[in-house]
Amino acid sequence: MKMVLAHPQKCVACHLCEGACSFFHEGAFQPAKTRIFVHDFVDEAVYLPVTCFHCKDAPCLSNCPTYAITRDANGMVQVNDDKCIGCKMCMVACPFSVMGFHEDKNVSHNCDLCGGDPQCVKICTYDALEYAEVEPIEWMVRMDIAEKPAPAAAS
Amino acid sequence: MPYGWTGQLLRVDLTKGTAEKEPLNMTWAREYIGGRGLGTRYLYEEMDPTVDALSPENKLIFATGPLTGTYAPTGGRYMVICKSPLTDAVACSNSGGYWGPELKFAGYDVVILEGKAPKPVYLWIENDKTEIRDAAHVWGKTTEETEDMLRAETDPSARISGIGPAGENLNRVACVINDKSRAAGRSGVGAVMGSKNVKAIAVRGTGAVQCADPLEFGQLVFEAMKDINESPTTSSALRGLGTASTVGFTNSVGILPTNNFQAGQFEHANAIGGQTIAQTVLRRNKGCYSCPIGCARVTEIKPGSRWAGRGEGPEYETIFGLGSDCGVGELDAVLYANYLCNLYAVDTISAGGTVATAMELAERGYIPEEDLAEVGTELKFGNADAVMRCLEMMSYPDGKFCSWARRSRTSPPTTPAAPRAWASAMPLRTAAPATCAATR
Repeated sequence: MKMVLAHPQKCVACHLCEGACSFFHEGAFQPAKTRIFVHDFVDEAVYLPVTCFHCKDAPCLSNCPTYAITRDANGMVQVNDDKCIGCKMCMVACPFSVMGFHEDKNVSHNCDLCGGDPQCVKICTYDALEYAEVEPIEWMVRMDIAEKPAPAAAS
Repeated sequence: MPYGWTGQLLRVDLTKGTAEKEPLNMTWAREYIGGRGLGTRYLYEEMDPTVDALSPENKLIFATGPLTGTYAPTGGRYMVICKSPLTDAVACSNSGGYWGPELKFAGYDVVILEGKAPKPVYLWIENDKTEIRDAAHVWGKTTEETEDMLRAETDPSARISGIGPAGENLNRVACVINDKSRAAGRSGVGAVMGSKNVKAIAVRGTGAVQCADPLEFGQLVFEAMKDINESPTTSSALRGLGTASTVGFTNSVGILPTNNFQAGQFEHANAIGGQTIAQTVLRRNKGCYSCPIGCARVTEIKPGSRWAGRGEGPEYETIFGLGSDCGVGELDAVLYANYLCNLYAVDTISAGGTVATAMELAERGYIPEEDLAEVGTELKFGNADAVMRCLEMMSYPDGKFCSWARRSRTSPPTTPAAPRAWASAMPLRTAAPATCAATR
């Protein structure tokens, strides 16, 4: 399936993707409701954009008490607003903290790939985000990759 | 609903200790469009222009514009407006980083600080809740320490804009620093904040900036992004080398301020230029909120140097202010001086100009021996130790430098040698008013 991949070495922490994400989904600029998160560690000079990896064994999906989280035919993990009761179990279960929460609607949300045209990828001028063809992998495997020492920052 | 603007203003009366919301004057907001015009209008209407800039009657206005917080290119900036203690005119200092958008998300376009707090305080704005908190424990601390401490006691995601020791000691070239290294630098706005006994403003916001016509706005933004990506200045020069890319050019045409601008070309220009920064000290590039250009440089002095530290910078103005204008051709020294300025919250341009002026005066013999002795090292062009010492003396009230910087432009000459010395103080006279519109 195609999903949004991040290249942290190229990120400059401008948060444009967060703005674009909330603008597309909410019609207003509100990073509190974004589905892509840029963590900026200023002292360490590490800027980390993360969004849903649609894990093969998605913990959010298996932990949802109301079966509101499902996987569609393409492999994308999605939240069904009508079934979601806002219990935030998925947010607790997600190892990467990429489940967002919509305070007004009282439902959680994750990256829905903007229906095939991810706005964050479109606005990123540094090529730090890529809409690429990759197969979902187990979250543990991804965690192992994440815990390896990071490659040197691109300059 | 006011689109772009949030339509709210926060008025903080420090004397009484109150913080109240009021509706933004939308007529002015539409007339002036940006934060700079709007803030200046508020200042013009509300303040008596004859008041002393460091008195409680002066107002300190933090203003954003309708595009702040949106994804419009470079939509992350905010203005600090007050009567300047350095020029006695309107001070409009501008800074990037993440603070301005956070203020918009908290629901305010403008914050107006009035009066003077009886003791050091900081402001904690969390959406519609505002607290005026005691700042005794962070008073005297550097900007970095302050930000870490205030984040720990407010919110880990809070954005902080505040002053360092220079502002507290009413140094007229003090600036306001947000996000550790972005500065609303010019015109001494930090001194006004210090005169009000306000150490910092911490903000956390989870609200939204609305847009009237999302489709058309999106289109316009992407068109602007295209222009930025195609323009050689914004796409290759600023992205590649930052504002430091200008050093080579200004040096080649003879306008790189050197030795208190007695010369326009500097022999070590390459050593402190953009190329050298990219090849030696650069850790990575950084961008302010919503900026597709990303000209900020995150740098670190490599081990083995006489100096040590890491942070952001230097920008072009810092390179000439603390580098060539003081005759310093050592990149590590310029970087370290830059970090010191960020920690103490001093404007790198005005501070560099002041040090350079002092160096020329010392070389021409206008500075009494006992004052020179206070510096502890020879005050002459090219002496990096003297620059560091002067920055320290400027920021803490323990020496002549503090009073020199305080006086640097506003008071008339008094000593016999002063009239000619005054004539040598060229950089401050010309640079301050002319570049107060510059973005930094």
